[in-house]
Amino acid sequence: MAEKKELYLGYSTDKAITPFYQEFLEALDQDKLMKSVCTQCSTEFLPPRQHCQKCLSECKLEEFTEREAKLHSFVIVEFAPESLSSKAPYVVAIGEFPSGRRLTAHITNLMSMPEVGMPLKLGFEHIDDKKLSYKWLV
Amino acid sequence: MARKVAVVAGGHSKFGKRYDATMRELCAEAYKPIYDEGITQDKIDASVLSYAASQFTGQGAGSALIADYIGLHEKPHLRVESACTTGTASLRAAWGMVAAGLYDVMLVLGVEQMNRVSSATATEYMSQAGDMRWEYPFGISFPAFYALMASKYMAEYNMSHDTLAQISVKSHHYGAQNPKAHLPKEVSFEEANNAVPICRPLNLYDCSLITDGAAAVVIAAEDRVKEFTDRPMWIRGIGAGASEMMIQDRPSLTSIPGAKRASKAAFEMAGLGPEDMNMVQVHDCFTIAELIAYEDIGIVEPGKGPEFVENKEMYHDGRMPVNIDGGLKSKGHPLGATGISMTYEIMKQMRGEAENQSRQIKDVKYGLAHNVGQSGQFVNVFIFERGF
Ligand SMILES: CC(C)(COP(=O)(O)OP(=O)(O)OC[C@H]1O[C@@H](n2cnc3c(N)ncnc32)[C@H](O)[C@@H]1OP(=O)(O)O)[C@@H](O)C(=O)NCCC(=O)NCCS
Ligand SMILES: [Zn+2]
Repeated sequence: MAEKKELYLGYSTDKAITPFYQEFLEALDQDKLMKSVCTQCSTEFLPPRQHCQKCLSECKLEEFTEREAKLHSFVIVEFAPESLSSKAPYVVAIGEFPSGRRLTAHITNLMSMPEVGMPLKLGFEHIDDKKLSYKWLV
Repeated sequence: MARKVAVVAGGHSKFGKRYDATMRELCAEAYKPIYDEGITQDKIDASVLSYAASQFTGQGAGSALIADYIGLHEKPHLRVESACTTGTASLRAAWGMVAAGLYDVMLVLGVEQMNRVSSATATEYMSQAGDMRWEYPFGISFPAFYALMASKYMAEYNMSHDTLAQISVKSHHYGAQNPKAHLPKEVSFEEANNAVPICRPLNLYDCSLITDGAAAVVIAAEDRVKEFTDRPMWIRGIGAGASEMMIQDRPSLTSIPGAKRASKAAFEMAGLGPEDMNMVQVHDCFTIAELIAYEDIGIVEPGKGPEFVENKEMYHDGRMPVNIDGGLKSKGHPLGATGISMTYEIMKQMRGEAENQSRQIKDVKYGLAHNVGQSGQFVNVFIFERGF
């Protein structure tokens, strides 16, 4: 494994990093989105959880490979929480993959009003050398 | 068999930007009318403080501070926290203690002081009720969670923003007649429909207010009720429900599963249905939340909310009066006080004492309070029955 970098998701500097979450962020740094899979009952989670919601067993991280999704819902945030004030307006979207898994992230390249049902593609972003994100592209 | 429990008294502070008070003074303001009715400290066995967000004040151990401030420091107290449903969660906790026989008489006091920080900071604190790992990093404010529901509802049922603006107009119409309201002014449809966007598709007039305020009720066990009032309001049904933490994981965004579960449970316990209610207080933290509430409670079928609004059936003389006190939209939404304020309003309406008689609902026998926390992770529904 690469040398431990300080990595944060999205625009936050959430310091509550665990080894499991660190592994997720390191994969993200390589443009890989990880899901988690329960080692006992094989239930999958996106975003990943260290503990299975069903049987509370440990999960392991595995790469999530779906890339195409549909816009499940969206919001254009004009008045943002203080920590993101400088980024507003921004678009938060829930995308739904063909498998039914969903993911919440920003849409970063919109040129017109989003529409529920429109196609989205998963992308990755290095906001700066510490902050990483997955994002939606239209 | 649990003992029957009634609400026997209530008090309510002025809601607003209360730079003349902090949480302790607001609590005193809410308890004072109860004290004046003769329910002095010695008659109260214990208290529950409904106080949702200590980030706003920095005050820890809130129930100790408040109990002391209002002279209840020798009586047991505790604090409950469940985001915006803290008020009815507190009432539910207190009901349990009284029904079980632990105490006979309890004060349930709800408060929030939110305006000593900027709106951006307040929005920041509230966004921290989202999942700190997976939602918060994307800046999903409270209005944003509900805007996600609004976008979906509009797409699924082909609804325009007009419906939401009509709800806001109604709320302000009644808030303007409520002396306790934070923003007691009428708003025109055009103003409400074209206001500055906050989290599109929601604009300023879709949002509840950032409010300072307090509300209090006293509950008592059935065999003690007569000592306090000849106009009790019985707690007839209580339902509580819950939903997924992350909004993306909800099976649907056009209804709140926990609210449906809570409503169903409350009606079952009461042996009543939505059609039996004479008024409802719903958690309209955003106009879309009010619309969805009509459907989750079962006042109308899914997708029929807009028609109900169009026909003005939620006005005080309509089929089902909803938030005739102005609701969270115009009366205001001091998080911890909100559920208690709903309870207070139903009690006043049942007694024929609506503050400002122009908005008195005729002959209220049954009333319902629907109180939602966060974007639906917690929901409490109470059904109250006039006992006189
Ligand atoms: C929408 C919101 C951001 C507006 O805040 P703001 O822009 O800082 O507003 P201000 O306090 O500076 O007030 C500016 C003006 O807008 C008015 N205003 C503020 N909030 C309002 C609202 N929700 N509806 C209507 N008018 C509002 C004020 O009265 C003031 O009017 P004035 O200029 O005539 O005096 C804020 O009300 C909000 O966040 N509401 C949602 C609260 C929330 O999420 N609660 C939890 C929900 S469960
Ligand atoms: Zn498992």
